[in-house]
Amino acid sequence: MPEVPRKWVGKSMKRKEDLRLLAGRGNFMDDIRLPNMKHAAILRSPYAHAWIKGIDISQALESPGVIGILTGAEVAKMSQPFPVGVSVPPKYYCCAVDKVRFVGEPVAVAVADNRYLAEDALDLIEVEYDPLPAVVDIEEAIKPGAPILHENIGSNIYNHRFFKYGDMEKAYKEAELVVKGKFKFPKYGSTPIETYGVIASYNPFSEEYVVYNNYQGPFVNHSLVAIALGIPENKMRWIVPADIGGGFGTKTGMYPYVALITLAAKKIGGTVKWIEDRREHLLASATGTDRVTYMEAAVKKDGTILGLKDKAIDNTGGYIRPPEPGCAYRSTGNHTGAYQIRNLEREVLVVGTNKCLTAPNRGYGCQELYFSLERLVDMVAAKLGMDPAEVRFKNFIQADQFPYTTATGGIYDAGNYPKAFQMALDLIDYKKMRAEQKKARAEGRLVGIGLTSVVDPSVTNIAYVAIGKTVEERKQERPKSGSGESAVVKVDPLGGVHVMVCTNPQGQGHETVISQIVADEFGIDPKDVTVSNVVDTHDRLYSITTGSFSSRFASQGTTAVVRAARQVKEKMLKIAGHILEANIEDMVMEEGKVFVKGSPEKSIRLRHVAGVAHWDQSALPEGMDAGLFGTSLYCMPTSKPPDDLDRVNSSNTYGFVAEAIVVEVDPETGQVKFLKWASVHDAGTILNPMIVEGQVMGSLTHALGGSLYEEFAYDENGQCLTASFQDYLVPTAMEVPKVAIGHIETPSPLTALGSKGTGEASSMSVPVAIGNAVADALAPCGVEIDELPLSPNKIWHLIQKAKKKK
Amino acid sequence: MKIEGTYTFPAPQARVWEVFNTPQHLQEALPGCEKLEEREPGKFDVYLKIGIAAVKGSYKGKMEIADAEPPHRTRLIGEGKGLPGFVKGEALIQLTPQDQKTLISYQGDVQVGGLLAGVGQRMIGGVAKMLLEQFFKNMEKILKPAG
Amino acid sequence: MKPCAFEYFTPATVPEAIGLLERYGEEAKVLAGGQSLIPMLNFRVARPKVLVDINQVKELDYIREEKDELVIGGLTRERSLEVSPLIQKKCPILAEAISYIGHLPIRTRGTMGGSLVHADPTAEIPVVISALEGTMKVVGPSGERLLRAEEFFVTYLTSALEPSEILVEVRIPTLPPNTGWSFMEFSRRHGDFGIVSVAALLFMGSQGRCQKASLALGGVAPSPLRAREAEKLLSGQVITAALIMEAGVLAAQATEPESDYHASAEYRRNLAKVFTQRSLQEAWNKIKGGK
Repeated sequence: MPEVPRKWVGKSMKRKEDLRLLAGRGNFMDDIRLPNMKHAAILRSPYAHAWIKGIDISQALESPGVIGILTGAEVAKMSQPFPVGVSVPPKYYCCAVDKVRFVGEPVAVAVADNRYLAEDALDLIEVEYDPLPAVVDIEEAIKPGAPILHENIGSNIYNHRFFKYGDMEKAYKEAELVVKGKFKFPKYGSTPIETYGVIASYNPFSEEYVVYNNYQGPFVNHSLVAIALGIPENKMRWIVPADIGGGFGTKTGMYPYVALITLAAKKIGGTVKWIEDRREHLLASATGTDRVTYMEAAVKKDGTILGLKDKAIDNTGGYIRPPEPGCAYRSTGNHTGAYQIRNLEREVLVVGTNKCLTAPNRGYGCQELYFSLERLVDMVAAKLGMDPAEVRFKNFIQADQFPYTTATGGIYDAGNYPKAFQMALDLIDYKKMRAEQKKARAEGRLVGIGLTSVVDPSVTNIAYVAIGKTVEERKQERPKSGSGESAVVKVDPLGGVHVMVCTNPQGQGHETVISQIVADEFGIDPKDVTVSNVVDTHDRLYSITTGSFSSRFASQGTTAVVRAARQVKEKMLKIAGHILEANIEDMVMEEGKVFVKGSPEKSIRLRHVAGVAHWDQSALPEGMDAGLFGTSLYCMPTSKPPDDLDRVNSSNTYGFVAEAIVVEVDPETGQVKFLKWASVHDAGTILNPMIVEGQVMGSLTHALGGSLYEEFAYDENGQCLTASFQDYLVPTAMEVPKVAIGHIETPSPLTALGSKGTGEASSMSVPVAIGNAVADALAPCGVEIDELPLSPNKIWHLIQKAKKKK
Repeated sequence: MKIEGTYTFPAPQARVWEVFNTPQHLQEALPGCEKLEEREPGKFDVYLKIGIAAVKGSYKGKMEIADAEPPHRTRLIGEGKGLPGFVKGEALIQLTPQDQKTLISYQGDVQVGGLLAGVGQRMIGGVAKMLLEQFFKNMEKILKPAG
Repeated sequence: MKPCAFEYFTPATVPEAIGLLERYGEEAKVLAGGQSLIPMLNFRVARPKVLVDINQVKELDYIREEKDELVIGGLTRERSLEVSPLIQKKCPILAEAISYIGHLPIRTRGTMGGSLVHADPTAEIPVVISALEGTMKVVGPSGERLLRAEEFFVTYLTSALEPSEILVEVRIPTLPPNTGWSFMEFSRRHGDFGIVSVAALLFMGSQGRCQKASLALGGVAPSPLRAREAEKLLSGQVITAALIMEAGVLAAQATEPESDYHASAEYRRNLAKVFTQRSLQEAWNKIKGGK
């Protein structure tokens, strides 16, 4: 089918969603009211690590308005632990059973007529705890003598694997220098403005469940909850409302609460609503993983990186649950980033501490990886006396090498790294900035430049989670692979075009972009296209990979939409050809009409074609179904299982991000000020530049938060210190500097429109770019930067410490 | 959180030691202590209503006087649970005579957990210090020589 | 989280309010702007059985000039003070300090009296009132009392208010012409609780000498701290850069800061020094630059 003229795709069309959202007419979880709805409040552990000796709910049951109370002991009877992809899994139920393993872990659920009364009931529940020593430090958790979280595992190591690619020994032999570093990446998250929400109904007469929740996918978790609750999947209907107030990966971790509230509904035989409040969210929802990495690079004096060896220890908190250990493996395919590094040795550990649990947080594994890799690249440059830009240019994969298969099995589809990186340098006037830095340093001012160049993977291939198991272990199970996303396009009896997707958008503007795409395909106006993204596991076409995560909509989602639209188009052309007695190869669809090429006066309006398909079904070509709809659940052919050498194409489309940041550090206060910032992106074909700019600024601000302000902080006893926005510091608009955004477009050959994902983008690159900038600024003070966040307090102390050393 | 400091009482060491080991005086001195009952020698059940301004909470717990080396040093161990969370602490208290006065120096650790730790961490250090000072001031009132 | 149940009263006059406070004693809490109290209720760390909402006591909302003082009612909204031409002209340091309080919506509800009585050691209004040596009028069952700033702030979250008393009025001096002033606050983000703040006033005398200096710091002690040694150093002197540097050092020495997750005690002490210096510099620049 020929390509269509792009009248709408590529334009900054204003979003269709915005007016209704701004007017308060969105349809969010908390807007849903069901008859006889009761309300739940969750009792949570105040201890980081403790045995539960007993729970007395007798007084609480007498509290006014209480319908019922569910405890962990009951949950253990009503459900099984969630399955997870490690050899010896912990027993993770949706509620603590005999032990609590992080502050905030659910211990009981009270259901009452309203939330106030439910919380009054919580006050009356007496829990007897036997506190245990807690462990919060990643490396302490794996030392002998550390408190053990899971007796059935016997250690705090959930997963442990070794990987070899290429020939690291040869790399060491040929190396002229080995540069080593230890890096610590912090625990932070994306704190979506809308928290988790669940409304579960159980009908004891039909034994069926209907569960509304604001889950973002992937729908593998629907299966997981069904398995845990021992219910056939088709007896548990999940409905996700049209509007979700932000997900960023955090809402992929809410399924245990879906299970918990579903069990509460089962217990009372009715409908239970729970809206998570902000304190609950900060204590016990899902954060990104914190990580300790030891990484070393074997290099030549000219800056060529011959090989990389690293040991990375990820912390998933009190339990490990799906999709972990994905945190360690999501970035497998792009482990070597933008560079031609063929020799690798990896040791991966995923461990537990008494902190809250994790889920894929915007960037998922890549910000942790790149913080180590790109800090190390800067350290290599410093040791070799080279410009850090030069070292990067020296090692880049070149534009003529695509598609490029990495040592770890990643298949980079398209890119031009030198061009994009150069653009970032040009946008901050790099040479001039270096000269100004020299001047500033002579005046004693701490000015620094931070550069980074990263590969931005999108469209997860679920195969990567299997890499947590060894080749032999994998052979015992069914292989896992895939990335399918669904779309249904239909034309109604009066010729209106409607699209149904299961992408659960959480603010990305899918309705708008889909309208643009379908408008181009059919030659109609985007405002005439309607889109429904309410996900209903009963009524929608979905698979375990559908949803919005790993930035899949722009590439995988849109490809499914195009394919479904073209199915409909093809059918419409066939019908039109049948009516006009012309060949389909000669037919063209433009401006709402179908006509023979060169004879536009012989045309049929789309509405008429739809009319035939619906109203005069016998006039259709013989054997053709009535109606007009196209369906796609498109999975990219590059989504294969891992091979026997532990290589896997962990994503499908690969973009690129370069950041160039100039900062000044105030030595008296440790405050970081941004002087210049350029952020350059290659997300393939840009579908709506305005939306992409929003994604860039959003991902950048999330990462700015994790670099300077945000952290889920725990004291040595595992007490969470940041359970409100007073202390968990999300940047406001006032903290975000002006950023010059640049783009290049290297279209992906894998997607219908050449687009790649753009939802994560700067979340992967900014933490290390800021780390590099501050490290450069403080280099004259002898300060090393190897961790985040870089609060003023921390920077000031680092400067004082370095002064004392001198 | 580490706590440490000193306080000078206008009373001789033996008298200070005596007061510190008298349950009734401890109850009078502990801020907000409504009940202090000795279950076994040196082990007490405690009921406290402490807080500052509107942030008040009731705590039920235990206290223990351990490792006593009269009249030089002793260890106080305590824990309490309430709706705002729990508090656990331990302090080593040393008494040194200074003429007719006694210098108390204390060194210890206080853990605050639950709700208060999560939403009030910026106040906890200061408030703990303030409550300690209240305790010592109350003790001083008890120790003031009669007449 | 949701608050516990409470009884709710809306008195229309001060005597009515005091009567309610007397009747319910410890169980009652005054609700003014609610910007500090409501979050505490919602977190259930405060569980008053009775809320006495004084927002209807309109007689407490005023800003007046009386001779060389500004007289402000306890219920005056922070935003009113921030934009008041009288305050901006006659006591601009107060308007400046208030602009640091949270965000605009918060300031439309928060009150002068509420902030003072709440006595948060990092709050802006207590620091400025300390530097200005304001006087607070409180009314209770036994009548009226006047409290000077240095007796009003007792310790963390504790003012000298007796149970059943209400703060009805605050008096502050209008600043003489050619007074150097500055308010600075260091916080993590725009609108956050201050980590360290400084209110500096340089009252100039003849021959270009500083007659009296007033320096109050927030966030470095249980209540606003007057840096007396630093003030003494500056009083009667010609201000110089070196003097300002030394004043900063002295001010820092007077602090007794606590460590918390955001800032260590050592760092706060350093900020006390740095911002005292910067604040004095700004105050001095205002004098040098003329008004």
